[in-house]
Amino acid sequence: MTSGIVLDIKEFTVHDGPGVRTTVFLKGCPLACMWCHNPESQSIQPQIIRSPSGERLAGQEYEAAELATLLNQQAALLRANEGGITLSGGEPLFQAGFVAEVIDHLEKGTHVLLDTCGHASRADFQLVLARSNLIYYDLKLIDRKAHLHYTGVDNDLILGNLEVLGESGRPFVIRVPMVPGVTDTDENLAGIASLVENMPALVEVDLLPYNRAAGAKYRYAGMEFKPDYDETQPLNFNTKIFEQAGLKVKRV
Amino acid sequence: MNERLVLLKNSMRAGKHKALRQAHSIELLPECEVADLSWPRRVARLVRRQCEAERVIIAPDEQIVFTRSLPGVPPVYTDEEWASLTAGRTLHELGPVSNICADWGLLLSQGLLGRREVALATRQSMPNDPQALEFLDSAIETIDAVMALSARYAEEAARLGRADLAAVLEIVPAHPARTFREALQSLRLCQAVVWLGGNYHVGLGRFDQYMGSFLQSDLQAGTLTLDQAEELLAEFFISLNKDSDLYPGVQQGDNGQSLTLGGLKPDGSSAVNELTRMVLRVSRDLELIDPKINLRIDTNTDLELLCLASELTRKGLGFPQYSNDEVVIPALLAHGYDLEDARDCVVAACWEFIIPGRGMEVVNIGAVSFPAAADQAIRSSLAEGLSFDEILSRTAAGIRQQVDRLAETYSRLLLPPAPYYSVFMHGCLEQGRDLSQGLKYNNLGIHGACSANAADALAAVKQFVFDEKNVSAKELLNALQTNFAVYEPLRRHLDEDGPKVGSNDARADALLVKLFEDFASACEEYGRLPWGGLLRPGTGSAMYYIWLAEGHDGMREPLVGATADGRLSGEPFSANLAPAPGVRVRGPISTLQSFSKIDYRRICNGGPITMELSDTVFRDPESIRKVAMLVRMFVQLGCQQLQLNSLNVETLLDAKAHPEQHKNLIVRVWGWSGYFCELAPEYQDHIIARSLYQVA
Repeated sequence: MTSGIVLDIKEFTVHDGPGVRTTVFLKGCPLACMWCHNPESQSIQPQIIRSPSGERLAGQEYEAAELATLLNQQAALLRANEGGITLSGGEPLFQAGFVAEVIDHLEKGTHVLLDTCGHASRADFQLVLARSNLIYYDLKLIDRKAHLHYTGVDNDLILGNLEVLGESGRPFVIRVPMVPGVTDTDENLAGIASLVENMPALVEVDLLPYNRAAGAKYRYAGMEFKPDYDETQPLNFNTKIFEQAGLKVKRV
Repeated sequence: MNERLVLLKNSMRAGKHKALRQAHSIELLPECEVADLSWPRRVARLVRRQCEAERVIIAPDEQIVFTRSLPGVPPVYTDEEWASLTAGRTLHELGPVSNICADWGLLLSQGLLGRREVALATRQSMPNDPQALEFLDSAIETIDAVMALSARYAEEAARLGRADLAAVLEIVPAHPARTFREALQSLRLCQAVVWLGGNYHVGLGRFDQYMGSFLQSDLQAGTLTLDQAEELLAEFFISLNKDSDLYPGVQQGDNGQSLTLGGLKPDGSSAVNELTRMVLRVSRDLELIDPKINLRIDTNTDLELLCLASELTRKGLGFPQYSNDEVVIPALLAHGYDLEDARDCVVAACWEFIIPGRGMEVVNIGAVSFPAAADQAIRSSLAEGLSFDEILSRTAAGIRQQVDRLAETYSRLLLPPAPYYSVFMHGCLEQGRDLSQGLKYNNLGIHGACSANAADALAAVKQFVFDEKNVSAKELLNALQTNFAVYEPLRRHLDEDGPKVGSNDARADALLVKLFEDFASACEEYGRLPWGGLLRPGTGSAMYYIWLAEGHDGMREPLVGATADGRLSGEPFSANLAPAPGVRVRGPISTLQSFSKIDYRRICNGGPITMELSDTVFRDPESIRKVAMLVRMFVQLGCQQLQLNSLNVETLLDAKAHPEQHKNLIVRVWGWSGYFCELAPEYQDHIIARSLYQVA
């Protein structure tokens, strides 16, 4: 029996996939994006969050079957309402074995959405991919050096797994966090478009607006927020780049 | 909404019509005293003089008229007479019959003249029953007064050259309505006169059922377009909001002017019609507090209808409130209601299920304080070193004691006569009996208030004192008696680590279920009231979530100090069916699952699961559809009633000032959701500002 660390479980997450869903946020992420809006999700260790509403412990250990039992209490209801379970993070593939085991314990027919940054070994990615119905795949930066600078890792694994995803035929959505002057440049968006334009299972590209509320959460988690870009710059939502490549694109 | 309606609404909101109000109430006492009138005669005279004293007010382009000009309802007895009349008896709230529902279909199908004919026929058949004759003559006096008022409106309309309006008023309310407009006009005038006569919380009943056929036939005949019909309906709704500052209630807006949509026809088929949808659309576009809307649904209800209803929820008005027919109807049957009547049920002022035209029920005689019952049992049993089972049985005994006390008080209930209101009830004119002498159903309703806190307190005691044994009885007792003065760590342990209702946690939910089982048993074992009615247990809490914690003048329920769920003395309890304030629960689905465990077949009085969603989850049609699916889940789980709120700016401001009370408040920030209280102040302000923008 595998156990894992869960940051939070949220019900009725209306923006985390089709239908009525419950989202499991796994704790721990191999990336440390400069703009991360859930800094408390980066470390796999449970930690104290101190905010004006009081203190709470972020992070709880579950055994895979225990978590699945909890989720199965509402699986039929979610299924009856066009939804299911979303696995997000943090990075769910950071605990791929645990996540796969949780999915295996879910009631048959439960719709599973994997929301991932793609930075995982090919084996780990395939392990969870094979058990998921829909993938939300984040693409941040095409330039390898920039990726290393802003996220702490290069994008070799991510681009490699993107190929695996494209070939798998599983329906997927590309999600681009729009960071002013960093990920929203025409050059980067064009790079993303050209990578995915020939992947038939791609449902759409979602552009996620930059979130300026991140700073406080760093304080509450006892961490430091230090962007080296100008947060106040307007975002370049150049959707044409994707439309010209024949892709469906959406501002979320 | 077209420009004319916007102007009408703005004019009403600005209160321009209030300038036309009379400075003083009429005086009635001398006349009653001189003639030494009986009580029914006095009430009839009151209605008549009020109608006579009303000013005729017709605004230039109004299609549905009647604007109240009288500021108040004068007494029909002196204070001394009133005191001796009511000595030893229990009056409900202010005294006059309130919070029941007429069958307005009787008005629309028979007209006041038709009802008058019924009264006259009964009069002929009961020449030797003075009480019946007095009632019937009183009722006829009020009917004539309303027709005279309507005639004055018709004359004034003619004088102003408003031939269309004059033509409508020549037909209704005297005759049966023939068109949608006539039906709305008839209802507006006749319902307003019920208020003028001192009755209050005057419900509008199954509006889409008794009114739907008029809409349908006008549309089919081509005499009315859909747009014109919506405009008439909007005008009718605006008119319902004109006088609400003159209505009695705990707070302004607490006026019970509610209507019920949807549900089933007498044969069990769906009753949803064109007017059901039109009411939801018009209410959504108008954004006014009246009428308050209830929607009866079941597992077969179209998701599209629930989407439309969710668009209304989005407006943050707190309605529609949903009732689940698959739960409500069997519960009514189990309490002695006939199937056709149960299928005809409506929601009273707040939550209670009543039958229009057939119930003289007082559905809110008071509350059982679950926290008091649980707390007294916990304190006394711990002090005596008794078992948890003993705590449970003492809790049940405390509940029974409270039920018995309320029932004893209300078995001396005195209802003043209401000859005019009786005109619209089944059987009154037919049998020569005022509604205050009883209708087909005459039950009383009691609410079981603040159940979540009580269940949480019991669950914490079981968990920590008896199962884990990490809190001693003595320590907990000391902590409760001193309001946790030097026991903050223990208070936090109880508050944060105890099992809580609302998270689908069997440990707490089992105790919630037990509280309601004990409550239902107490009501069942009390048996029949002197006049044959039953006690209906319910799940509402109205203002009790504040009163039971802080105390209130004239309150009959016991007060509670600090409680074993970690709640400090004076802090509010949970409202209706909701997790205790400040408790962080797993989410809305788990909360529905928790409350689905109650046996609603025994708990039939009503009282909603109350849930708040951030208005940011209503942002796009896809999300609204998901809200509709959440409503469908409520039905699928077999819950009874649901009040869904879209959070508004005030709540956000309160959350900013008192973050500890709003830990569950989730807001959509941009492309993600977060806990409102964990956002930095400047971003909270941003969301508040954005919400302001959305409302405007």
